[in-house]
Amino acid sequence: MAYRSGFSAQTLAVLADLCGTPSRWRHGYGIARDTGLKSGTLYPILIRLADRGLVEARWEDEQPAGRPQRHLYRLTPHGLAAAAAALAQAPSTDGTPASDRVQGRRRVAAG
Amino acid sequence: MSWLTGVMAALLRCPAGLLPANRRVWADALLAEAGAVPAGRHRLAWLAGGVRLTVREAALARRLTYALAFAAAAAGTAWSAWSGPAGDPAIVPNRVGVIALAVILAGLPWAIRRARGPAAGGRAARLVRTGGYAALFALVLVRTAVERVAYAPPNNVADSSGAWMRGGLFLAVMAGYAAGMLALTARRSRAAPATVAIGTATGAAVGVLAYALGPLGFPLRFTGPWPAGFYDAALALGVLLALAAPVAAGLAATRRAGSLPAGFRAGQGAKAGLCTGAAAALVVAVLSTATIALLPYDTGLQHWAAIHIGHWTPAVGQWTPILGPTRLGYVAGNSAFAAGYLVVLLVSPLLGCAFGAVAGLAADGSQPPRPRPRGSGPPLPRPAPATSRLRPPP
Repeated sequence: MAYRSGFSAQTLAVLADLCGTPSRWRHGYGIARDTGLKSGTLYPILIRLADRGLVEARWEDEQPAGRPQRHLYRLTPHGLAAAAAALAQAPSTDGTPASDRVQGRRRVAAG
Repeated sequence: MSWLTGVMAALLRCPAGLLPANRRVWADALLAEAGAVPAGRHRLAWLAGGVRLTVREAALARRLTYALAFAAAAAGTAWSAWSGPAGDPAIVPNRVGVIALAVILAGLPWAIRRARGPAAGGRAARLVRTGGYAALFALVLVRTAVERVAYAPPNNVADSSGAWMRGGLFLAVMAGYAAGMLALTARRSRAAPATVAIGTATGAAVGVLAYALGPLGFPLRFTGPWPAGFYDAALALGVLLALAAPVAAGLAATRRAGSLPAGFRAGQGAKAGLCTGAAAALVVAVLSTATIALLPYDTGLQHWAAIHIGHWTPAVGQWTPILGPTRLGYVAGNSAFAAGYLVVLLVSPLLGCAFGAVAGLAADGSQPPRPRPRGSGPPLPRPAPATSRLRPPP
């Protein structure tokens, strides 16, 4: 379902998750775990957000032993403003803001 | 499960090579992230999502569809042309022609891609390419059907010594059509997408109408006496439409290209006219040759063709009293095809281009250029370098 902001519910969930820690670089699997999205859904969202300049991405600086470098993501300043505006406009079906729904999933995952 | 995960990772790496550079990094990122996903079905699901992502981003489904459709069309045409009655001298030229055309049509996109880039974005370019290729295969199919029966005993109505030469000429014309179509619908083509769409749609519509009004069209389906005058009028109307179509397409394309510089706008008229002439010629050739291929099997068509094709191809001079329905149908049909439609395929695009160019110049001179939106339209020609004028010493 598309909200008036123009973002899908899944995209809003990703934006809400990144908004929670806007200055911290996040891994793809961490976002997927918090939002409950599969990789085939999450990465196209990240691609579109990056194309629009709302998300920036980079590789890890250090080369860890035994595994490849991971890709990191965070909101740009423009993305943070757009996400805040979109999330403010978008109520959930039960009235819970999208950011609170993300926090709820985090508590479930931690539990 | 670990071997399945390895297979899935390998599947993810394969199509990733088909992705453009700005998308390949995302496939690499997803693959690198798989190490952080718990092993087992979670990691398998993660990698499966990556395969789905790369297939979608690489437009693999569309590429595979086009490749399979091409292979099916080539195989079907080859199967149709492969067989023939014993002693038919047209069999070998037909086989060679079909194979050569399939190789040319498969290789031309690669060559055009190097010169003009891949297909232009948007549905119109892909529709023109798909429809054009389908028309070329259809024309080869019906032409080989006509040639095979025309040359075979007991007909033997055509001179078999010219089979290779005619086949080579036909192949060259088909290759020219394919190359032109691919070049005009490429990303770096100097023809605007709207120009190609307007010209092709106009040409296809005129082609159907010209066939319907022409000697092998709907009048062929009516039995009984037809006033010759009515038929002459119908054909004259078809000729007028054929001449007016590239002019109309050229005018429309030039007006639509209002934001481009003056000389560039007029060129759109010529290109629209070229597309109109080519599309019309291809449609008329396919439909008419298909009708000729059906002639031996329909006595009503044969009787009508005996009167009217002979009437409209006096230069052929091969209309003779009926010796037998099959022979008569192919005397008239094969001659009309060899003399008429190949000429139409050669001349129509050139005439269309000329008429479209005149229309483009006329329309260009009557309107000033509009401001051009950024990033729109085909690439503009580079301006000529400025020459410096040194002042003579005092």
